[in-house]
Amino acid sequence: MKSVRLVAIAVLVLTALTVLGARYLAPAGYEQQFREMPQAAPSAHHLLGTDDLGRDRWARLLYGMRVSLTLAPLAALFTTVLAGLVGGIAGYFGGWTERCCKLLIDLFLSVPWLFLLITVRAVLPLNVSPEASVTVTFALLGLLGWAASARVICAGAKNLMKSEFIWMARASGFSGFKLIRLHLLPNLRGALLAQFWISIPVFIIAEANLGALGLGVSEPLPSLGSLLRELQDAVMLRPEPWRLLPLAVLIVVISSFQVLLNKEEVRS
Amino acid sequence: MLRFWGWAVLRVAAVMLMASFASAMLMRIAPGFSSDDQELNSGLSSQSIQAIRQARLMDADIPHFYASYVASLIHGDLGASRSLNQPVKDLLRERLPVTLFNLAFALAVGWLLGLALAIAAQIWDTRALSFFANGLSGTFISTPAAALALVFLLLRWPPAFAAALLVYPKVYRYTQNLLQQSSEMPHVLTARAKGAGPWRVLAWHIAPIAFPQLIALVGVSISIGIGVLLPIEVVSDVAGIGQLAWHAAQARDLPLLVNLTMVVTFVTVCATLISDAAQRGLSRSAA
Repeated sequence: MKSVRLVAIAVLVLTALTVLGARYLAPAGYEQQFREMPQAAPSAHHLLGTDDLGRDRWARLLYGMRVSLTLAPLAALFTTVLAGLVGGIAGYFGGWTERCCKLLIDLFLSVPWLFLLITVRAVLPLNVSPEASVTVTFALLGLLGWAASARVICAGAKNLMKSEFIWMARASGFSGFKLIRLHLLPNLRGALLAQFWISIPVFIIAEANLGALGLGVSEPLPSLGSLLRELQDAVMLRPEPWRLLPLAVLIVVISSFQVLLNKEEVRS
Repeated sequence: MLRFWGWAVLRVAAVMLMASFASAMLMRIAPGFSSDDQELNSGLSSQSIQAIRQARLMDADIPHFYASYVASLIHGDLGASRSLNQPVKDLLRERLPVTLFNLAFALAVGWLLGLALAIAAQIWDTRALSFFANGLSGTFISTPAAALALVFLLLRWPPAFAAALLVYPKVYRYTQNLLQQSSEMPHVLTARAKGAGPWRVLAWHIAPIAFPQLIALVGVSISIGIGVLLPIEVVSDVAGIGQLAWHAAQARDLPLLVNLTMVVTFVTVCATLISDAAQRGLSRSAA
């Protein structure tokens, strides 16, 4: 098991380095067209060939990974902050505040996450600039993905509020923001961090689902999800199996994340 | 018991109403809500176009729309789809069985596969089997539903099987962890030390502890199943609820989307409630 974890770490480090060095590793920009050679087969110059518009697939894969692997952690950070706020407020105040927050959490959890995400994204406009589509897609992931994490944080905060050291801190005159900053937040850091790490692979897959359905990042900007749209041309997959590479990369990266998340985190 | 179910029914009703109201609000603020493709039809008279606009205007007042919707709902009227020009009840009657059948198939196969591999890994505990089961679950937990549906479309395999493979990892991982934890309990170790075989230990000592906790996963797996069926139905062109929801969202069809949200919420919340109640009952009887 240790060797599997080492391989997972190596894969993620290698992915991060590749993504960071995309500018040097790619033969061209992600939007540059080689009009004289659309749908070219892999060659020394174009490692994965070119797409229908003559754009280098290897370059698009590198930049697509950069978009997904940079923005998914940002969305995860946003969702963790949101979960920390709602869960923390519910656990700290208790009573009616907790009941209202839990009702909101239940409401979000009662509709399947993927169903909610796809429906909401389909309702929002699609004919926007690539930058706007990236922002909308990942902001939506962050906005809709906080409920499960908030429930965990709420339970953690509630337990902490019952603990002896919090009672002692209260008896010593700590309250409000000071109590949260000095006692509650440092003790919830582990749970918040776990929720952050769990959210990253979930959001990468969610973006991939949106992208494959044409609801994700819009052209010409690539993302791991939007690259999967090439799979829709199913007839071309047999003669050009390298089109499956973005899917393979996605599976390897997410599997590496899953291996690194320990059993308790996966179970939760 | 009666109190529990009383609260449960109230909770289901409240969550369904809130979820459908939220979807109506979302649709109302979505760009393009007030326009209708039919207005571009040159064959329509100005009176017809005026009638279409009037209908849209009535929908735009969400509190009014929702109040009349709930009033009709109480009388069993789900309204009519604006984009498909059909009563929502008929559309649901047509599409719901397709999705429910696919969901049942996905859950049955996913659970069977997950349980079988988790139990096999627990009984035989070989490196090859563990590698195979973990690899399979790792692969499918990392695969987007839409991409898997595309691959299945290419291979001409049934789309419901793709959903089953996406339900499987959750069942396998949870069951495996549960069996592992239960097998380390003192009474199980004692039974082993006294010479009980692996099947006997599993059936008499591990399963009674693990089974009630496993029931709680039923609700979660139904939620996962419904979630993955939406992209699968869209990609594979299966005429189910998922495809209908996709169409409703894109066509800004308010009555249809509100009803679909209601149905999906109802199925999910009921499944969670029933599995929670079953888990509670089983834990109580085991104690």
